[in-house]
Amino acid sequence: MTDSLDLSNLRADFPVLAREIKPGVPLVYLDSTATSQKPAAVIEAMNNYYRLSNANIHRGVHTLAEEATALYEGARERIAKFINAKSAQEIVYTRNTTESINLVAYSWGRANIKAGDVIVITEMEHHSNIVPWQMLAAEKNARLVVIPVTDDGELNLSRFESILEMGPKIVCLTHMSNVLGTINPVAQIAEKAHAVRALVLVDGAQSVPHLPVDTQSLGADFLAFSAHKMCGPTGIGVLWGRKELLEAMPPFLGGGDMIRRVTLTEFRVNDLPHKFEAGTPAIAEAVGFGAAIDYLVSAGMGAVSGHEREIIAYALDRLEEVPGVKVYGPRAERKGGVAAFTLDGVHPHDIAQILDTRGIAVRAGHHCAMPLHERFGLPATARASFYLYNTQAEVDRLVDGLYEVKKLFA
Amino acid sequence: MPTRQEAIDLILDHFDHPRNFGAMPNPDSVASGRNPVCGDVVTVCLRITGGRIETASFEGRGCTISQSAASITVEQIIGKSLADLMRMDGDSLAAEMGADVMGSRHRCATLALNALKFAATQYRNGTAIRSQADAPVMDF
Repeated sequence: MTDSLDLSNLRADFPVLAREIKPGVPLVYLDSTATSQKPAAVIEAMNNYYRLSNANIHRGVHTLAEEATALYEGARERIAKFINAKSAQEIVYTRNTTESINLVAYSWGRANIKAGDVIVITEMEHHSNIVPWQMLAAEKNARLVVIPVTDDGELNLSRFESILEMGPKIVCLTHMSNVLGTINPVAQIAEKAHAVRALVLVDGAQSVPHLPVDTQSLGADFLAFSAHKMCGPTGIGVLWGRKELLEAMPPFLGGGDMIRRVTLTEFRVNDLPHKFEAGTPAIAEAVGFGAAIDYLVSAGMGAVSGHEREIIAYALDRLEEVPGVKVYGPRAERKGGVAAFTLDGVHPHDIAQILDTRGIAVRAGHHCAMPLHERFGLPATARASFYLYNTQAEVDRLVDGLYEVKKLFA
Repeated sequence: MPTRQEAIDLILDHFDHPRNFGAMPNPDSVASGRNPVCGDVVTVCLRITGGRIETASFEGRGCTISQSAASITVEQIIGKSLADLMRMDGDSLAAEMGADVMGSRHRCATLALNALKFAATQYRNGTAIRSQADAPVMDF
């Protein structure tokens, strides 16, 4: 048994999971890939910060400012440890994964990409790891080259080999697909990319919340992720980057905190990571992020991913029992806790709406991955996704709900 | 307002048995609309005499809400003036389909209405497209 989580106690940590969607119909929350629910410890940490320690950070001499700074920087230290970064200086706070990727595209990209250069993305990317590179490529007249996805929902690695011969400058890929659940072999890809001196940016929005991620063995040069998908609040995310890369990059946004000294004609940038953190940041959110990290550390990321492996295996077996259901992406052992599916003859939005009447929250649409849906010839899919607080009984409720959908459309 | 069950019955009836479905010979104006979020597509045809919608039809594919709303809307506007059509909005649909059922699916429900309004506007401006094959797909 990899599942060492005590589910009954753990569910009680998340106040919203006790909610009934209507009288007698408890919530079944299967949309954690979009955003996770928050444990009471996170909500209380943010609440306490505002009640007891609220002040602006850095430069303040008074007690509250020192407390706020210690909380804000303390969270950074814990995040650094969580992903085994060499130093907290490598942890840049952003608003979310999207902003982290944009930071690299603007700062590193505009300093390093020239006309004709090759930027590599994959066909399974979220729009946030496509559009910033399209914008950069258009501005610099660079080439955007795409690693295609196989019918099994995995990256076509032999095509990647031939793309490497074009001498790309950067390879941008997701660690785990938010639709197919595919876990990409980042270390293997990074080794090959580095052999042709390309950098590797990893979208960790889905992997950092669900798998143990170690930046010292991952092989990536940049890693982007968001707090809100890992039990933390919205409005804060992280860009991790290798220190020497971050140091060589020009600043992103200009303003307070990112400078060491300003005159009316020039400025000197601050040290890492403050160089990339202009303006008053999301302080309470950083405090909440720190509490979320503590929560996940105490649950154990090995146990979290083990629990999800079991639940996705069970979910795939049960979903495939339902006639007309097709689940996309690799088999359970090669994917995370995400099941994007269709049901013959029923539009995904109709599925989601009928499931909602039974308290079951799934997402329907293209999940911000339009090119991937086009690849599979689908306008939309329904998506059930799982996290540490989901149970097999909830999978059963989903399957019962799908039989209800079929009955309605029979 | 219909009860929830009445609304669902109406929606499923129009979804299973769409009224005025299919291409129309010699339309006066054609428009094709798509909701890019869910991929719903509706193409509408109008025949107009003296500012009045003599007949209308639609074709499409997509979710129950988008397709049944198209059937309901087309049925509603036949015999009405173009001005009546331009005055219609999501609220008039909600009265039939139930605000509760429409819920967050407003864009699906108003897809056909937006295509119809676009076709009417093109007709008024003298820029109507008169064949399905030529109608560009507009994102609504």
